[in-house]
Amino acid sequence: MKYFKKLTISSGILTLLIALPALLILVNILSPNTENWQHLKDTVLSEYVFNSLYIMFGVAFLTSIIGFTTAYITTMYSFTFSKFYHYALILPFAIPTYIISYVYAGMFDITGSVTMFILDLLGKENITQVYYMDIMSIEGAILVMSLVLYPYVYLISKTYLIAESASIIDASKTMGLSPFDTFVKVIIPISRPAIVAGTILAVMEAVADFGVVDYYGVPTFVTGIFRTWYGMGSVEDASKLASMLMLFVFTLIFLERFQRRNIRYRSSGKDFAPICKTPLKGKANVFAFIICFIPVFMGFILPLAQMTHWFILSYEDVIDEDFIRILLQTLSLGLGGSLLITMLGFIFVYNVRLHKNKISDNLTQIVKLGYSIPGAVVAVGVLSFFSHIDNAFNIFISGSILSIVFAYCVRFLAISINNYESGFSKIPQSYDDACKTMSISETGKLRTVIFPLIKNSALASFIVVFIEIIKELPLTMILRPFNFDTLAVYSHELVGQAQLYESSVPAMFIVILGIVSVLLLAKKMIKD
Amino acid sequence: MLGICLKDFSIAFGNTQILENVSFDVKDGEIVTILGASGSGKSTILRSISSLEDKYKGDIYLHTCYLKKNHNSCATQDIGYIFQDYALFPHLNVLQNITFALKDLSKKEKEIQADKLLELFDLEEHKYKQIHELSGGQQQRVSIARVIAYKPKVLLLDEPFSNLDSILRNKTKIWLKGIIKEFGFSAILVTHDKKEALSISDKIAIIQNKTIVQFGTPKELFSNPVNKYVANFLGDINELPKEILKDFDLKNKNNDDLIIRVNKTFLTKKKNEHKLRLLDISYCGDYYELSLEFTKYNNYVIIINVEDLNGYTKESELYLDIKKENLILIKP
Repeated sequence: MKYFKKLTISSGILTLLIALPALLILVNILSPNTENWQHLKDTVLSEYVFNSLYIMFGVAFLTSIIGFTTAYITTMYSFTFSKFYHYALILPFAIPTYIISYVYAGMFDITGSVTMFILDLLGKENITQVYYMDIMSIEGAILVMSLVLYPYVYLISKTYLIAESASIIDASKTMGLSPFDTFVKVIIPISRPAIVAGTILAVMEAVADFGVVDYYGVPTFVTGIFRTWYGMGSVEDASKLASMLMLFVFTLIFLERFQRRNIRYRSSGKDFAPICKTPLKGKANVFAFIICFIPVFMGFILPLAQMTHWFILSYEDVIDEDFIRILLQTLSLGLGGSLLITMLGFIFVYNVRLHKNKISDNLTQIVKLGYSIPGAVVAVGVLSFFSHIDNAFNIFISGSILSIVFAYCVRFLAISINNYESGFSKIPQSYDDACKTMSISETGKLRTVIFPLIKNSALASFIVVFIEIIKELPLTMILRPFNFDTLAVYSHELVGQAQLYESSVPAMFIVILGIVSVLLLAKKMIKD
Repeated sequence: MLGICLKDFSIAFGNTQILENVSFDVKDGEIVTILGASGSGKSTILRSISSLEDKYKGDIYLHTCYLKKNHNSCATQDIGYIFQDYALFPHLNVLQNITFALKDLSKKEKEIQADKLLELFDLEEHKYKQIHELSGGQQQRVSIARVIAYKPKVLLLDEPFSNLDSILRNKTKIWLKGIIKEFGFSAILVTHDKKEALSISDKIAIIQNKTIVQFGTPKELFSNPVNKYVANFLGDINELPKEILKDFDLKNKNNDDLIIRVNKTFLTKKKNEHKLRLLDISYCGDYYELSLEFTKYNNYVIIINVEDLNGYTKESELYLDIKKENLILIKP
């Protein structure tokens, strides 16, 4: 059998395996209604739908405003620290939504640091004497999620503005439009596809969230899946909820792709006109500085400062033998999972490169969908898939490390594939052709040409997947073997036991890894 | 002795037929250029000979060896392919690129062989440089050295001068022709540049409508083009009204088109039957390009190049000056 055929068959089998949990979930939407389901329908389903939609629209509103405003200001104007903000505005990405929610809950608690500061400032003694928003509410959830998810809109809008706007702005200037008219009549309409694409990505993350809504006590589809699974013990109904959520997410993916079809980035060629930034002075300079400072401060500096304070207060109590065990478990799960996913990602992308046909390409696209499926849904699908295997072969792998690693593959292979795709796009096809004309064997080509040239992409894939695994919460919570914790799960459990300060210790490890990931992203931005 | 032979070669990509029934030979030591418009399938021929494409019909022979859609049956490394983008590996230096395909040799032997080529190609001082540190011309020489290092019998060159500026292109063309002749390679070169084709080739094959319409020496093709497309491809032509034939007592039995090379078309102020109206004057540096139309015949705009304008204006009375022996009757 030819070398490349082996690769295609391997990719085909892997795709089937990876798609099976999602298919099992989707099938559930057609399953007959049970008594429990009827109960869910009569009591909480409408609340799940309403809250999920409320979060979706709330996050969409805030992320699009914060993301686009900061992207526009940093792209079009130069002001104090504008170069710093160019990268600093993506720093909130480093903090997982659930961690920022714990920190904000602590800060805005009746004895929290922010509450005390406000009371001191206003000279009041009791929080009820002033209007005060309860952060542990659905609005609070929307706020904290938006603070760390707006970089999706910021990054996509900024890339789009840099690539597209220079000549259009020049054209509108020559036609006598004021800067305000240019913004309203030209910039916003042309940026609409980028804003929508970024917003949909942020919304997908928000809809899939478990940590924030669980801690803030907001019933949504995801918390519903957990409650139905653990509280009512109904696998079928949890799967049915998961299938509804998955269909909803697929609709969002479709919308996102539909929007992206209108984004045509100009290649950096002769027709690419760089933007001439307008220098800001006086009040305008201060205003731009403050506009960009607020999201960086609220989404990164403030929560990190608070976490650091809590960390210093509690690390001695938390870091013990158990903690080291959890840390090692997390690291080994992250290392093993990311190594496997990095290897599998290579098989998929290299198969597409060798084959260049629709089958290979479609296999990769199917696998890439996994990243958009919420972790809780993937977990339900994987558990359902392995339960069938357990029953068929009378074994027990549904509650093992194998099932959790498999679920990570379903969810995170897309990250690895994206990294390789980006890397391979920079390796001309003529290198493969040159090897063939020089009678270099496939193995020789892999060893001497492909691996040395793709190693950076493989490393980037490994690091990013590793960090994602470390951060993952709902999937790990459902699938982890008995008495097997990760840093994310431990942090969530400590918060659940009202040990907010202590939870900052595992959370700090996760955030530091998140910062590494964001720095890698920033490095890539500079390179590009 | 035959270097390469293509017999009834056809290839399609999906439902699109790219080439049909292409046949031609390249003799040992001969340089053949394939000329054709963009997308006409020129590079596809090279890719098929080197087995990069294998979904073709027909036969390809390399010397006496039959390349049955995979040249593994022939001696390996008999074919050297020079890519348009050079395909030099950026993670290897010049020396490592040149020795990349050398097999069954010790490291020392490889380096000795590479040193000879580096000297021959004037690249000694760049031996340990990374590819991105070299100029376009130097990169091209490395790509040729890399191929010559494993001693192929046949060279396939895909638009080898397209990435070079005009001065370097001319210099490299002369150098490459010398190298090919010195090593005695059979070579097939693909280009869309007629000047390149005429100056470097022993023979030229012109692709039109998915097949080779004419194959011969540059002189044969230039003097006796089989159709207007070939004539136009190898040099600028003017199409003339057929009524002019009467003035020269020429017959046109097959109702062919009448053409003349632009460089054989002149102007005169001496009155004759073929009065011209000046439409436009373009300054081209060394000469002026005049666009003119016949006052008597519609839809015939011709180009005449002149060194001096001699006071020509749109009001000037100008006449066509041509010689009978320069007129060509040709298939449309």
